[in-house]
Amino acid sequence: MIAALARLPVARMVRSRRAWIAAGAWSALGVTMAVVMRRRGAPHGADDVLVEACGALVLPLLAYTLVGAALGARSMAGSTSALASFGASRARAAAVTVGVATAASALAGALLAATVALVAHGTADPPIARDALVSGYVGALGGAAYACWFSLGAWFGRRGGGRLVALLVDWVLGAGGGIGALLAPRAHLRSLLGGAPPMDLSQRASAVALAILALACALGAVSRARA
Amino acid sequence: MIVLDGVAARRRPLALSSVSLSWGPGVHAVLGGREDGGGLLLALVAGAARPRSGSVTVLGGAAGDPDVRTRVSIVPLDPALPEALRVDETMVLAATIRGEPARDPAERLRVLGIEALAARPVRSLSLPEARAVALAEGATSSRVRVLLVEEPFVSMDPRALALLGERLRARGADGSAVIVLTASSRDAGELTDDQVLLRRGAIVARATSVGPLPGASPGAARLRVAAHDGHAARALVAALASEEDVEGVALEGTSVVARGRDAVTLARSVGKAIVEASVDVAEMRCEPLRDHEARDAPGPEASK
Repeated sequence: MIAALARLPVARMVRSRRAWIAAGAWSALGVTMAVVMRRRGAPHGADDVLVEACGALVLPLLAYTLVGAALGARSMAGSTSALASFGASRARAAAVTVGVATAASALAGALLAATVALVAHGTADPPIARDALVSGYVGALGGAAYACWFSLGAWFGRRGGGRLVALLVDWVLGAGGGIGALLAPRAHLRSLLGGAPPMDLSQRASAVALAILALACALGAVSRARA
Repeated sequence: MIVLDGVAARRRPLALSSVSLSWGPGVHAVLGGREDGGGLLLALVAGAARPRSGSVTVLGGAAGDPDVRTRVSIVPLDPALPEALRVDETMVLAATIRGEPARDPAERLRVLGIEALAARPVRSLSLPEARAVALAEGATSSRVRVLLVEEPFVSMDPRALALLGERLRARGADGSAVIVLTASSRDAGELTDDQVLLRRGAIVARATSVGPLPGASPGAARLRVAAHDGHAARALVAALASEEDVEGVALEGTSVVARGRDAVTLARSVGKAIVEASVDVAEMRCEPLRDHEARDAPGPEASK
């Protein structure tokens, strides 16, 4: 049943030319910045690109695009109505849609972060293989957290305009280092990529916070379908 | 099969109040529009809306139960289909979700004459095509036992229109309940066995069509006589009961529907009964005979 329910969001992602173009454009932006940083010969090239460009801009927008594609550019309720009309549980359909979007964002985030770490690697960065591996892990965690964050946002608005509000809230809250930043994926992702931590949390605490945030948003999205 | 007991429900700006209904197998009509709460009534049966009070029982369970939901199909004016899939993929997906064995999608679509749509992406379908696909899915599903159709003759693919009535009646005859929501009394009369009239969220009238009769032949006729009031209609029914050539008679509000072997004989008998009963009639209209009336067993309340 899960495989059947996943067919629709997967088909939406795979068959949407617009989604491919947008995801390709954001990824290309991240890789281009990495190439520019490498040409400059920056000693902390990978760190700089990952924190300033990848974590702050490219990864959120990539996840935003992928979630939108999985939902067919609709609200969460609208995107599951076709499956519900055949008798599927809305909560289960929403859970599978969130799962597909999360998996795709995690994979894309991991690939992007690892590629950027490899391309922009500087002399003062950690060993290249380890850096790529750790960046991939952080990119996957960040991508997954953003997917769940936007999935919860997609419940609001007739066409899921809450996703955009979620993006703006993340930018505003995550830009600082105060208590509000604890609720934003951006702040924890920045910390994990080597930037300033929110409220002086350790990287391990930020990783746990990001995972909890993802889980809470995913559960929120599914429980709203149940209601 | 479907029981609504004292149901009140609200979906702004619509509301239903104290609706009690019971539908068994067959084709039934709800005469009314969306503004009368018809869409809300269908949503309640489909489990897509919850009653504020009262209960909705569908196929022996609560509407909205997981097992019930897969056996109910709803075809609204704007059906939700998986827009990223092709039509044939949609039919396979629906079968998987409903838990029924996969069948050739083209064969299923053929029952409404729309097999040519099988390879089309859903997002390329026009609204009438999408409605025909949604209807074909529900009407050919082996799991579906309750089929809810909003305005079957509106925004419907012309290929499906020709086969629609026959298909819905076949579903009703095979033990399913087909509920048609329509604002057209003509459509309701052509398709269904009985009708409830919904106005502003309340049921204001119920009518039973003239029932099937023993020995009816394909050449039989139906005549509707609209009397000025209920008293005149009842007097006419009494007079028609003594007419040998009238095989069946039913009272529908202030209308009387009579059946006979052929139109001429029936018209003569009805005319004679009108004179004998000394009633004024507003209108007499010959109606097309329903397919199942010549085929099915008689209903006790409609036979003489």
